[in-house]
Amino acid sequence: MRKTYKFSAVLVLFFLSVGWTFAQYTVTGTVIDSRTGEPLIGSNILVKNTTTGSVADLDGKFTLNISSNNEAVLVISSLGYLSQSITVSPTYTNLQIALKEDATNLEEVVITGLASSVKRSNLANAVSSVSAKDLTGTTTVQTTDGALYGKVAGATIRSNGGAPGGGLSIQLRGISSLSGASQPLIILDGVYINNSFQRTGRAAVSGAGGANQDDGANRLADLNPADIETIEVLKGPSAAAIYGTRANAGVIIITTKRGSEGKTRVSLSQDIGFAKPLRLLGVDEWSEEKINFFWSGDSEANRLRRATELERFRQGDRIDYEDYFYNNTALLSNTRMNITGGTEKTKFFISGNITSEDGTVKNTGFDRYSIRANIDHKISDRIKMSVSSNYINSKTDRGFTGNQNNSGASIGYSIAYVPNYFDLRPENGVYPTNPYFAENPVALTDNAINTSEVNRFVQAFNLDIDLLKTSNSFLKASIAGGLDFLQNSTMVYLPEFLQSQVASANPGDLLLGKQESFNSNFQAALVYNWNLGSVNMNSQAGMVRLDFRNSSLFNRGRGLVPGQTNLRQATVQEINEHFVSEIQEAGVFLQQEANWDDKIIGTVGIRWDKSSLSGDNSKLYSFPRASLAVNIANFDFFNSSVINQLKPRIAYGETAGPVAFGSIYTPLQGANIGGLLGSVVSNQFGNQNILPETATELEFGVDASLFNNRLSIEATYYIKNAQNNIQNLNLSPSVGVNITPSNEAELQNKGFELGISGTIVEKSSFKWFSRALYWQNRALITRLDIPTYILGAFGSGLGTFLYAEGYPPTSIVGTPANPDNPGGFTFWGDAQPKFNMSFFNTFSIRKNLELSFLLDWRKGGDNINLTSFLSDGGGTTNGWFDDDDGDGIPNGRQRPPAPFNNAGRWVQDASFVKVREIGLYYTVPRASVASAFGGYLENVKLGVSANNVFLFTKYEGYDPETSTFGARSVDNNVDIAPYPTPRRIFFHVTLDF
Amino acid sequence: MKKGKIYFSLSLLLSLSIWGCNPLNVEEILDPNNPSVSSVSNNATKPQIQFVLTGLESRHRGYVTNVSQAWNTFGREIWYLNGSDPRFQTDWLGQNGRVPDRSYFGFGNTGGGSYAAPYQAINQASVLISAAQNSSLITETEKRAVYGFAKMIQGYQFMIPANFVYNNGIRIDVSDPLNPGPFVSYSEAMNHAKSLLDEAESEFSAAGTGNFPFVLTSGFAQFNTIAGLRQVNNAILARANAYRNDWQGVLNALNGSFMNLNGNLNTGPSHPYAGPPDVFNPLFYLPNAATNTIVVVHPSVLEDATPNDNRLSKFFQRANPVTISTDAGTLTGTHQDARWATNTAAIPFIKNEELILLKAEAHANLDQFADAVAAINIIRQAAGIGVYSGATTRAALIDEILYQRRYSLWAEPWGHRWIDARRYDRLNEIPTSFDGGTIFTQFPHPQAELSWDQYVGN
Repeated sequence: MRKTYKFSAVLVLFFLSVGWTFAQYTVTGTVIDSRTGEPLIGSNILVKNTTTGSVADLDGKFTLNISSNNEAVLVISSLGYLSQSITVSPTYTNLQIALKEDATNLEEVVITGLASSVKRSNLANAVSSVSAKDLTGTTTVQTTDGALYGKVAGATIRSNGGAPGGGLSIQLRGISSLSGASQPLIILDGVYINNSFQRTGRAAVSGAGGANQDDGANRLADLNPADIETIEVLKGPSAAAIYGTRANAGVIIITTKRGSEGKTRVSLSQDIGFAKPLRLLGVDEWSEEKINFFWSGDSEANRLRRATELERFRQGDRIDYEDYFYNNTALLSNTRMNITGGTEKTKFFISGNITSEDGTVKNTGFDRYSIRANIDHKISDRIKMSVSSNYINSKTDRGFTGNQNNSGASIGYSIAYVPNYFDLRPENGVYPTNPYFAENPVALTDNAINTSEVNRFVQAFNLDIDLLKTSNSFLKASIAGGLDFLQNSTMVYLPEFLQSQVASANPGDLLLGKQESFNSNFQAALVYNWNLGSVNMNSQAGMVRLDFRNSSLFNRGRGLVPGQTNLRQATVQEINEHFVSEIQEAGVFLQQEANWDDKIIGTVGIRWDKSSLSGDNSKLYSFPRASLAVNIANFDFFNSSVINQLKPRIAYGETAGPVAFGSIYTPLQGANIGGLLGSVVSNQFGNQNILPETATELEFGVDASLFNNRLSIEATYYIKNAQNNIQNLNLSPSVGVNITPSNEAELQNKGFELGISGTIVEKSSFKWFSRALYWQNRALITRLDIPTYILGAFGSGLGTFLYAEGYPPTSIVGTPANPDNPGGFTFWGDAQPKFNMSFFNTFSIRKNLELSFLLDWRKGGDNINLTSFLSDGGGTTNGWFDDDDGDGIPNGRQRPPAPFNNAGRWVQDASFVKVREIGLYYTVPRASVASAFGGYLENVKLGVSANNVFLFTKYEGYDPETSTFGARSVDNNVDIAPYPTPRRIFFHVTLDF
Repeated sequence: MKKGKIYFSLSLLLSLSIWGCNPLNVEEILDPNNPSVSSVSNNATKPQIQFVLTGLESRHRGYVTNVSQAWNTFGREIWYLNGSDPRFQTDWLGQNGRVPDRSYFGFGNTGGGSYAAPYQAINQASVLISAAQNSSLITETEKRAVYGFAKMIQGYQFMIPANFVYNNGIRIDVSDPLNPGPFVSYSEAMNHAKSLLDEAESEFSAAGTGNFPFVLTSGFAQFNTIAGLRQVNNAILARANAYRNDWQGVLNALNGSFMNLNGNLNTGPSHPYAGPPDVFNPLFYLPNAATNTIVVVHPSVLEDATPNDNRLSKFFQRANPVTISTDAGTLTGTHQDARWATNTAAIPFIKNEELILLKAEAHANLDQFADAVAAINIIRQAAGIGVYSGATTRAALIDEILYQRRYSLWAEPWGHRWIDARRYDRLNEIPTSFDGGTIFTQFPHPQAELSWDQYVGN
């Protein structure tokens, strides 16, 4: 079949009138991988300084006509390989080209602006690129952000817990905003997508508090990670300035896979796996002595209670509830199909994905169905159009863990409070009443519902028009935009027979939510590329328009007809929330790049933005940038056999973080009382003069490539200053209005990032690629013109955060009061790690076997561990009744430091080492595939992998990286009975047809 | 290059059409969810003023949950057993040496329901007053009625922060949000409350007669006339005067109040809780609810009770006691609050029974012992415990009155026992033996007050 299929397309990249001459000769050749000898299908062969070229066919072969009898220089390139230049002549026409893998990614093209991209070797910023192979090549991770752990220097990723379906936050280069979420802007194929943590209503029903304790998933979870071709991370203002108002916390640019010309290829992958908790803590045993101590007290009631407990102890079976609820095996399945192909005019990439993953807690799980069609079409020689369409349906059941109040609706709380001698399991269908807490967690897990179903459509379009083309310049118009429509239907349901419901006046609680968000964006740019002497100039001008609309409606029904989940079946019906927001933003930008022969590359740019969120909606804020990179090794004087590339670089840029919606309003809120509606003056006093948070960043560093590009080093130092930080100025509470947003703080992040990667061994039978990343960040409040204050977590008694000039905002303070300190409390810790490191290795053995692993190390950084606080309260912490100091008071009642009643007890060092990913893949030799399946099957790949494989830490929690407030900018290190993080193990099969 | 020109013109046309709908135009987005405060500041309509007035009723009850749970714990009328957060026990009872700080558990940086919430009501009343003042769409008598109501609520609400921080003093000049006045002493604060109630009285007296011209909730069901509201205002004034040790003032105010020596002791205005879209009664718990978060009767209240006192019907003995174990030991509650029939029962904020006890207290302090005993006996006989037979000295009568107040006003949303014990310098009589805690005298100013002064100082 392959023989009859003659792949003979000759690609002419730009169709220009080519003069016909009689003199010509033909060059033929083969392009292969220098190490494995495999043909490099689709390699580009281009006659240098012309637009004439060819592509290699399935055997790596190509043919190219040279339209003269002169020598010509061919540039042979292939994605992921270092390109080569070869001079051909009528006497030298048969080439054998072996390309070397681009281990150091010098040739990679990085998107750096709204309408521009640059070769990595010319880049002036430390932009992290994560390829599809980096992202999902080792193992299958549920969500895209979850797949970024340890792959981006400078990124701190935290999860709300291990519940299926995501719930992660990313901070790039420290804290960018003290009050905002400090999350990067995410742009998917040019669309500003919604990555919010949407409300589920769980915290309202469980009594935990606000929506930030819902443990909702962030909506990046909807994107199928396998669709992604690359992720580029612009970590700070110096790289992201051209994105303007929303780029303070960095920008993550996600580009999905696209079709390529040639035979239609079908690829089918199936992963089957299982998950178990990564770590369990164990629960404490009980004894009569312990019961007598725990239930001490002289009153009659206390004596009776003691007797009851002793009786239960003597009769009861022993049930390890942590094991019962958490230590289950979850089945994981991920099915993917890709169809790609196309002609010279039209190319397509179509993918389908079914992810169906259970959670390790019963009745939890995540199902995602995704269909994508990415189409590229040339309307004419001059007009290129591309569309990317993605429909997603995802359903997440996250169960009941984490914080609660009074409702008992948290498994973790129940584990903390129920002794192992009391049996909560149902007998003849009847769940016993839990005498230790407000709910029977077995009944809760079996019967309660916490679900969210998202239907989402993301559509991107792109139109490139070549307006003008001369021999050394071109003018191009680029129009792009898209929309992201998302509807999230949530349900939290506690049936009427649950203990907490029987104990309430209107048993049965149902909270139904509908949230809709519609983001649309439009962008138009003119790009003019021209030459000024030997300097290549790229000039861009354009505009951007963004619109965001959100609405939410939550209804609650209490006093339910048994088994009913329709609001009309509720005795008491209530509109729980109705909220609408609309945001409009617009900007214009100019950018000029100058490249002198790849030796000196400079860029200046500016963007002006206005936003309806700012106090003055017509005011334009300007965001300039400038950068310079010098490729010393490209200068003629530089002559080193060791150093191939040496590039000092410096970049400066400014960005902003938008004002939160509503900051400018002083509303009269609705308050119902006794059948009437009142208008109450809000606690917030709007600030009509509020400014966006602006940040400036100076970044400088050196990139170097050594030993024939086998080793690369990237070192970067940055200083990021955020001015006009928005914080609530606390008014005197006596005036009856508590807060007003203010711009009176400055925050500084300084940090250092180092990446070293290289091919340590490169032989035809064995290759070892290794990459180490190191990063550290120091945040500091450099100016605070509002008074020092404490905020966050659960107050001073359990550890909270200090906002004071000259202190990091990550400072953990708490009781006892100490008037000598700013804020009036004792310092107990700092949430900020001393440093992070990650270590990635891939071993390629012969042609077919590949082993990879990724290791993460975080040194320092404290958590507030309230899981321990709870289990100490319930007497269930492992080792609770031990008495290390022998004073007769058990450890569980005497957590240091003395006098054992302060907040310092719960502040713990959360350093860890994690084996994040391991993967082992075997590609069945082509010959065997061909002989077994004939021509029908082209490629078979088998693998086994694991995610969150091992955790080494002294921290006394399920995972030092989880937090009940994961999405908040500052207090995102608070551990309250979270869903344990799973360890995931997979088996993979991929078939290519 | 002909084609190029066509494309160029095409894209020019395209960009012109885009400019037609001007993508660079950013509109001003008005709050899509709420009206603004400024919408009522200039010539508000009567319905707008009505909404703000009902809003004041809503703010007026902002203190109820926190004060009921916390102050009644401080005075050991109750324990708030909370299985989800041990600090309701350890911190509120002052166990293991805990003492209130500026950001104490349950009160935050602003003092929460015991400090910020009453001031929100005071501010709401000020907004109401200025909305009425700046409106030409309501009559002068209607305005006077609004002023009277607003100032009455302000007078009531000022007593809450004043009693929370007590000798630390509060701010009484709070009209300018960015320039609040200094802290004044407790007695000055109470004088301010009194003067507001006096002003309310004079406003009401200029507000005509008949029905209050705006709709009030069922909380004022028996008092929604100008005359009725004057009675409520005087009742509040009687309480304020007692705190001011102005005993004749108490008696004078009681004369203008709804006190009725022969009437229902429970008569009085209340905070309604209707259930959605309103909230539920925050103090309601189902009898015998299988929960570990519940307000229980303090053991000393049960221990000190007079047998067969009718008021013991306020306590419901649970089939299963509630036990909470914390790092400060184990607390067990045997009885729960039985005052609320349903979760939509209204919570009274001052009632006839208190007024009669105030009468007794005023007479006792004025050494009018016979009148004092007569008032005491109204309460005793209603409780079914016979007439007073103790000594008729001031000390003995005050003892008796404070005892009766413990049971008549048990766990009202005011923390009567805590305040009463402090008034008579008897905080040391509140027993701590049941929980090993300490009795607080007062709270420091919340952190936000200190911070504000620092901010202005800069």
